[in-house]
Amino acid sequence: MNPLIIKLFLASTHQMTGIPRKKGKRYNRLIFLSGILLGIILIFAGNTAVVKTSTNEFCAACHVHPQATQTWKRSTHVDNQRGVLVNCVDCHLPPKGHGYLKEKAITGIRDVWGKITKDVESLNWEEKSHLEYAKDHVYELSCIGCHQNNFPLGLSVEGKEAHLYYEQHASELHCINCHIAVGHYSQDQIHAKNVDFGMSVTVDKQVYTEPGIIDGLNDFTEFIPDTKVSFEMVAIPGGTYLMGSPETEPLRSADEGPRLEVKVSSFFMGRMEVSWEEYLAFFKQTGVQGKTSDAYLNVKQAGEVDAISGPTPPWGAPDQGWGKGTMPAMSMTHHAVEVYCQWLSKVTDKKYRLPTEAEWEYAARGGTETPYYFEGDPAKYTKRGFIRKIFGVDTTNISSNVNYRLNSMGKSTLPGNTQRNPFGLVHMLGNVAEFCADWYAADAYEMYPAGRVDNPTGPAKGAEYVVRGGSYKDEADRVRSAARNYTKTDSWLKTDPQIPKSIWWYSDCFYVGFRVVCEFDE
Amino acid sequence: MEKPKNTSRRKFIENSALLGALGAVGMSQFLQSCKPRVKLDLKPFLDEAPDGELLKAGVVGCGGRGTGAAFNYLDAGPNLSIHAVADVFQDRVDTFRGKLKDERGVELDDANVFVGFDAYKRLLETDVDVVIMATPPYFRPEQFAASVEARKHVFMEKPVAVDPVGARAIMAASKQAESAGLCVVTGTQRRHGRNYTDIYKQVKMGTMGDIVSANAYWNMAHLWFREQQSGWTEMEYMIRDWVNWTWLSGDHIVEQHIHNIDVINWFTGKFPVKAVGMGSRQRRLTGDCFDNFSVDFVYDDEVHMHSMCRQIDDCANNVSEHIRGTEGYTNCKDTIWNPDQTVKYEYEYPLDAEGEIDKTGGNNHLVQEHIDLVTAIRTGEQVVQAETTAKSNLTAIMGRQSAYTGKEVTWDEMMSSDLKIGPEEIVMGPVGMEAIIPIPGSSPE
Repeated sequence: MNPLIIKLFLASTHQMTGIPRKKGKRYNRLIFLSGILLGIILIFAGNTAVVKTSTNEFCAACHVHPQATQTWKRSTHVDNQRGVLVNCVDCHLPPKGHGYLKEKAITGIRDVWGKITKDVESLNWEEKSHLEYAKDHVYELSCIGCHQNNFPLGLSVEGKEAHLYYEQHASELHCINCHIAVGHYSQDQIHAKNVDFGMSVTVDKQVYTEPGIIDGLNDFTEFIPDTKVSFEMVAIPGGTYLMGSPETEPLRSADEGPRLEVKVSSFFMGRMEVSWEEYLAFFKQTGVQGKTSDAYLNVKQAGEVDAISGPTPPWGAPDQGWGKGTMPAMSMTHHAVEVYCQWLSKVTDKKYRLPTEAEWEYAARGGTETPYYFEGDPAKYTKRGFIRKIFGVDTTNISSNVNYRLNSMGKSTLPGNTQRNPFGLVHMLGNVAEFCADWYAADAYEMYPAGRVDNPTGPAKGAEYVVRGGSYKDEADRVRSAARNYTKTDSWLKTDPQIPKSIWWYSDCFYVGFRVVCEFDE
Repeated sequence: MEKPKNTSRRKFIENSALLGALGAVGMSQFLQSCKPRVKLDLKPFLDEAPDGELLKAGVVGCGGRGTGAAFNYLDAGPNLSIHAVADVFQDRVDTFRGKLKDERGVELDDANVFVGFDAYKRLLETDVDVVIMATPPYFRPEQFAASVEARKHVFMEKPVAVDPVGARAIMAASKQAESAGLCVVTGTQRRHGRNYTDIYKQVKMGTMGDIVSANAYWNMAHLWFREQQSGWTEMEYMIRDWVNWTWLSGDHIVEQHIHNIDVINWFTGKFPVKAVGMGSRQRRLTGDCFDNFSVDFVYDDEVHMHSMCRQIDDCANNVSEHIRGTEGYTNCKDTIWNPDQTVKYEYEYPLDAEGEIDKTGGNNHLVQEHIDLVTAIRTGEQVVQAETTAKSNLTAIMGRQSAYTGKEVTWDEMMSSDLKIGPEEIVMGPVGMEAIIPIPGSSPE
């Protein structure tokens, strides 16, 4: 309104000064009047433009991807008992008075640019619906603007506990950490105790009665007795190699050095990452269905194989709805995996465990000393950098070997689609990241004495465990043979509303799995 | 539209006078001194709650304290009535009705008298406006949550929970009460004392500098206990002997000592981040509680509170608080001293009708709690104390758990602990719970 007021003010002062109007001034007066008119038109037009470009129909005109309108209509923001409708801009723009117009302009320019330069079909909309992307497009102020009471009467006990937790950790949490599906419905993103999880898998195969047999250091097939599940174990002949990466390796991190001469004894390793089929066999045999408290289980003698206390039902959907079967199992905790190995050892009468970090890298390298077991420069396989972002990257070589950020479409994949490494292992790099038995320390390699180290097992104590191989979410640097990573217990359990939090499932990590090794008795 | 009646003008003037008076007292709480302004959120002390529409109260748990609280409520102001009662025991209800009739001439309608574990639910279905809760604290989280759901104002005795799950349930229900416009006052009576409040203001104004350490004491003789009687089930016995059972009372560090711990939390404006404590059972005859605790509580700024409580006959007794600041120290109750032990500030107790110094500070704290509740309801100046009390309660639980286990216990652990004590099922009969007295640590091998 400001320009209008100024114009009116100027016009009136002109009149009040009482200066006699000359003929030539008539022209000026016309300019004043038309200025006022233009001002009025602009204000109304601008306002109309803002209103028109904020309708659901306007948004939907471009956002035709399947995640948008259909899932919105099925969500509780449209389909609810109160008959309240929540529009696109109510969530995807900040509230008015909190940078609404600015964000609208920025979003508008970005969307128009995207519409012109990008192919809607080729964008990975599903990945964008995940929390870490969604967070950038949903304004918490807008959530809170409508949902002003975290403690309404009638709220469930779980809801009260969860909101109490939220209020104490508000700076670390966004409403959609838990309520991600309220605006766009997704059955894969339920936020509830998933009691039926993994209970209905049926595979039309024979039930094995005997476990597999080891005959020397040769590949063998393991059968899990009383289930229909089998998997392949690859013989890895022992040897000596240089663990870690040279300082000249592109995109290397400091924790990969100094390089260490390591001798590893022979062992067997799972050809593939442990699948849902395998993990659910354990879940079904030992899991405590319907029990809600981990504490209840802890009372029982944990760790003792006879009374293995298995996982409780997960919170949410650990498989993200991507399918179970031979897809890699993921999001179970390191503790759960250790119990899995104890259980597997017991039912197959062998010594199964997680690989040590040294074994893992030895197996991943398969005798190579290059960044990957195949040819290629990590720096050329990333999309980082302006030029590569615009012109794209030739990923043919890496893509046939590794399921990583540039080819994964934001998902893990079946083992059949990928080439094997020199030992015959699949997905050592990428797909799901893999737990190792060692505690993580950034300076782990420095702590060993000079010279050759035999079968190192990492630091004696630690807070987080080593995770290797990178995942479908990682860029080319994180899926190198030497790249190291570690568990992040706090952030991986951020939104688990159970008290205490689960010791069996990470509520917020959908990219970590594991691979077993079986000890070889020489 | 109906024409406003003539009386409304007078009413308006009356109301504005009241508001003005309240406002004036309220304004004085914005304290100015050499320190920056602090808003202490203190309500004025009234000798009597203002008049208003009839407020009917229901009493849940009418043992000694429940009966006392009911009378305190009736003494708080005009137009207050006791309307319903609920208890697990018939004899308690009968005694309560008798007393109410004999001493106050109030007769309760049979239809408003409820007995049993779910009696409180039926009481909540009546048209009472206020619920007075004085059952053993084990029952409080469930009963408070239900009262809030039923949209009742609440007065509840301390402690409000015996375990972390219960304390958090109170915190959440407190937030619900807050958003639903309900008033909740708890029995942490020192916060309703004029003397304590006066010293609190002085401390907040910086009269004794910054707080550097604190002590809290509740050392006294044994409280009371009951022997098992023939005809009582195990559950009945436990409830009648409740102060001696941890699952019912929270142990005496929670049940009694919460008063002193709460004062330190109130004055520091914080809750401790961790605790290491010890305690044991030396003389107690029934139940599974300890009879002495000594706990070192630590606040986030490394200020320590030492808490000490004991219930053993013929020992040195002391029930008090002590806070030391950079420029003096205080007993929190009525005096601030200089570091050289000369008096720096003293609360001026009012004189009673005979001209004697009235150490109760004008009004019994126990009545003042109810005056404050009724005033809050009638003026619309909402007061909800449950969350703060639950946090002081959880502080005491944190100390207890440290003494029981011998380990350091942190606030974060308490805020996410699933510790819930008590039997699986609450029914009159055998309880089926082993009474285990905790032993911290392990013996040398």
